[in-house]
Amino acid sequence: MKQVEEKEEASVYQRVVLKNASPYHYLKVRLVLEDESTRLSAVELKYFIITGLKSLYGEVGAALNFDVLKYDEDTLTALLRVYSRSLVKLWSSLTLLGSYQNKACAFRVLQVSPFLLALTGNSRDLQLD
Amino acid sequence: MTSSELDRTPRTLLVSESSSFLDPKNRISAQVQQLHFNHQVSVLLPECSSAPSHLDSVLNNFSSFYLIRKLPVYELLDRHFLETAVYHGAVFGLSYRTRIDEDTCVALMPNGHLTLSLDKDSFEILGFEGKPSRFKHRTATRFVVSVDLTDSSMAPGRRSYLRLLTGLKSRLQLQTDFLLSHHPGGGASLQPLLSRCDWSQHRPEVNCSVLTDLSCPAPRSCDPHSFLEWLGAVDAGISCENSSSSFLSSFVCPEPNTIHRHALSVSVSGMLLPHDIHRLLQELRRYVEQPRLASWVSMTVRGFADSPVSWSNHEHGFLRGGENFYTLMMFHDHTYQLHLATGAHDVCPP
Repeated sequence: MKQVEEKEEASVYQRVVLKNASPYHYLKVRLVLEDESTRLSAVELKYFIITGLKSLYGEVGAALNFDVLKYDEDTLTALLRVYSRSLVKLWSSLTLLGSYQNKACAFRVLQVSPFLLALTGNSRDLQLD
Repeated sequence: MTSSELDRTPRTLLVSESSSFLDPKNRISAQVQQLHFNHQVSVLLPECSSAPSHLDSVLNNFSSFYLIRKLPVYELLDRHFLETAVYHGAVFGLSYRTRIDEDTCVALMPNGHLTLSLDKDSFEILGFEGKPSRFKHRTATRFVVSVDLTDSSMAPGRRSYLRLLTGLKSRLQLQTDFLLSHHPGGGASLQPLLSRCDWSQHRPEVNCSVLTDLSCPAPRSCDPHSFLEWLGAVDAGISCENSSSSFLSSFVCPEPNTIHRHALSVSVSGMLLPHDIHRLLQELRRYVEQPRLASWVSMTVRGFADSPVSWSNHEHGFLRGGENFYTLMMFHDHTYQLHLATGAHDVCPP
């Protein structure tokens, strides 16, 4: 009887430590264009990133799956989701994307995290005037 | 680079604990109190369109904090300040707009520990004992000076105290914008320090929004990563309505899910004290334990990405991210699930 009671008590508390278990990584990126009046739709942005992946990693790279979770057309800021094992490939192709429609551009990677919750409240954005 | 090297990402940890508030051995209070520097708390209340008055008053009464511009750091060693504030275990201080991976960061904890995170040159100029950062590369580039101001060897006038004071005042001349807070409120003991500096008082910012037709997964039947991803999506305003053939995104709400007609999302940001967060936790606990449509609430607390310490006095750093946050899911039956997450330059959370 005592053993059963102890087991019941033990089942209330549980602690699990997961290391490197996040299946996805999330990136907050902003596209900076030489011509600041140019606007892209979300579909155009995703296609643009796929061309970057293709130029660096070929057809296999272009088949890499990533999601544009959120996109703000005014600030050209996007939240991307990618499988953790593909993060380095996506990030490196964003870094090396240099021109959009023959005009200079750059991707600023503002934040990267395996947790989406970390991207929605960044203490580095704290502004106290 | 081989393809396996391209697949690697920095080490991250997610600790998931489930327990009950009724269990006398639960450590939830200690776990909340140990994260000294909190930047933001977000609360999600399903099936709620406006916060009840008790909860509303707790959310709007977080302690205010002070921002001091260009504080000479040696002022934190001022004898009067130590005697009236630091020795009473009431002061929280953190350098503002300093990046832990680039600049010098300063933190003052309520237990009287002063921690400085310095690059190699600043550390050598300061001339006080410290240790290389535990998250070091082959050569030590970052050093941590951690001093217990309540220890007898650091009493004003003693040799170690004078050495640190000289280091901060004459050798390194360290000056930084500084966030300062005091518990309990009413910074009367901070006034002498503030009167010597350029300071401003700030209240934490509260943002409320009501979400309609929110599809929520069942918390207990969902793995922690998926649930935290969904919570992040709610926080960021990301739509879960994506078909499997959608070009842009394949993100969907984890199954099984229910649609809630409305939900309240509140966030408070600034420099938040663990005591206020604990008060919010107790109020949320009272809220969810009453009979109601929704059987759970969630509270996410994010620490500062650039703080030199995270839980307790453990060192914290920023590799590709400085995440150190925890999410607490509270249920109607007094049980809870706590998820603590850290990045590469962190020890395992408590």
